[in-house]
Amino acid sequence: MTAAAVSTTGTLLSGKPLRALAALILIVNGLFPALWILLTSFKTEAELTQKPITWLPHAPTLQNYLQAFSDQPLLTFLFNSFMVALLSTILTLFISVLAAYALARLNLRFRDLIMSLIIAVSTFPLVTLLVPLFETMRALGLLNTWTALILPYTVLSLPVCTLVLTSFFESIPRDLENAAMVDGCTRFGALFRIVVPLAAPGVFTAGILAFVNSWDEFLLALSFNSNPALRTLPVGIQLYQGEFAFPWPVISAALVVGIVPVAILIVIFQERVVSGLTAGGLKG
Amino acid sequence: MTTSSTVAPATSGAKAVRARLSRLLDPDETTLGVLLLAPAAILLAVVIGYPVLRLIYTSFLDLSLTSGMPARFAGLANFRAMIDDPVFWQAAGNTILITLITVPGALVVGLALALLANLPFRMRWPVRLSLLIPWALPLSFAGLIFAWFFHSEYGIVNDVLRRIGLSGVIWFNSSLLAFAAICIAITWKASSFMAMIILAGLQTIPRSLYEAADVDGAGPVRKFFEITLPLLRPTIAVALIFRTITALQTFDIPYMMTGGGPGTSTATLAMYIHQNTVSFLDLGYGSALAVVMFIISMAVTALYLRMIRGGEGIA
Repeated sequence: MTAAAVSTTGTLLSGKPLRALAALILIVNGLFPALWILLTSFKTEAELTQKPITWLPHAPTLQNYLQAFSDQPLLTFLFNSFMVALLSTILTLFISVLAAYALARLNLRFRDLIMSLIIAVSTFPLVTLLVPLFETMRALGLLNTWTALILPYTVLSLPVCTLVLTSFFESIPRDLENAAMVDGCTRFGALFRIVVPLAAPGVFTAGILAFVNSWDEFLLALSFNSNPALRTLPVGIQLYQGEFAFPWPVISAALVVGIVPVAILIVIFQERVVSGLTAGGLKG
Repeated sequence: MTTSSTVAPATSGAKAVRARLSRLLDPDETTLGVLLLAPAAILLAVVIGYPVLRLIYTSFLDLSLTSGMPARFAGLANFRAMIDDPVFWQAAGNTILITLITVPGALVVGLALALLANLPFRMRWPVRLSLLIPWALPLSFAGLIFAWFFHSEYGIVNDVLRRIGLSGVIWFNSSLLAFAAICIAITWKASSFMAMIILAGLQTIPRSLYEAADVDGAGPVRKFFEITLPLLRPTIAVALIFRTITALQTFDIPYMMTGGGPGTSTATLAMYIHQNTVSFLDLGYGSALAVVMFIISMAVTALYLRMIRGGEGIA
């Protein structure tokens, strides 16, 4: 697989130093913004307003982190983000496991139409539904609840998860299921006892994608939850800025706190995330 | 298919109950399909189907919560107001410009990153993470981080400019520079995902093609343009369409970086919809704006569906 690369770009960049340069470019491009925020979060306000600016913190401090937690209810923001993401992920997985199973295993008459519909939903601009969703949530009494976010977030991830899971289910031999059904398992029994456990990596991959989608969402969270106690992290972060002041070190600390949980998830499950992103869905 | 036939004979009543039970637990193909797809269908009906109808209806209403007046049918008044609204044209123009700049921008940068990432590194994980972390970073965070990069006094961009002997500029005071900063941030955020998709495409190109080209004495440039690029076309096309639709919805990054300013010079259509709905509470006008965006997105999606139906599968 990589040998193909050698012969495409390889003749130009086959030397070790050039490969190192390529790695450096990739890493700096990908990680520098997060690294810079990390460095900023350790600087004092005094150091930050020096010119020329310092790159590495001279007197690293954790004061900004303490302030990030005391100036605003950062723990509450984290908790809200986490719960909304977790609950919408569970709901998404449940609904998309069922749908994907139907698409992978049954002879549906409208399968192509349903597939097209799923793809159309995956490109659907939720921002256009700001007004009607707002009114629907208000009518259902769901404004300022987690549910007001969980339902749209589930729709946000449903297409990607369904596509990822469909391709996973298709890769599981039907014989296993048939054997289970001959042994007296019902179809639902076979789904949850045989297919889902075998597709566990796929279910897990879909789950990570759904979680990250929810964790990142900003516009709906900004519009539907005016109650400070229900703010998610991306919305809460805005509150650090005063009317005139913009406390960058404290904001940086809060950003780092918000990046770390997802970064850990990504570091541990990187291969799965890549396979999920490239196999099933394209949204980002 | 069903297991009821293997059940030992019992009294006819018990048999009927058991048959009905087993039909419920073990339905035929069509019933099962309906049951399995029902939760998804209900969710989509509540969150998309009904709201879309409601959106179209509201766009014909004069419905402003601040006026205190009840909703009134207004025909095409909202759409006519849009034509005379300079902010609408500015926001729509910015949205289209952002799309025209950042979609090809992310493609070029993403393609370059993918070609670099496809080199035979001994360790794959640092490269993989350097593409994944920007994808996982929330857009709103990326907006804040780039606002800090472009800070006029203490931002690293101006610092670098000063170090190489140029003078720093006040990025967010000029509409042109603020717009450029926004486009840079969006291109950075989008290119990593683009690179991941293209990288996956690169890895499906059979090695034998390059070997054959080697035999023919083709150089790396010719191989790139005659093998790599043509074979990547379906992958790139799919990635471009998704990127286009996402770019049309741009909100988070300009909202965090400039708030649409200076004035409304960097506002996007999504920001203007949000402002009319949430700040001005002019639900009628906000809906009419949303209908315009909806039509544009659906047109792009239709194009996309036609393309993949035309035989080019999803990556």
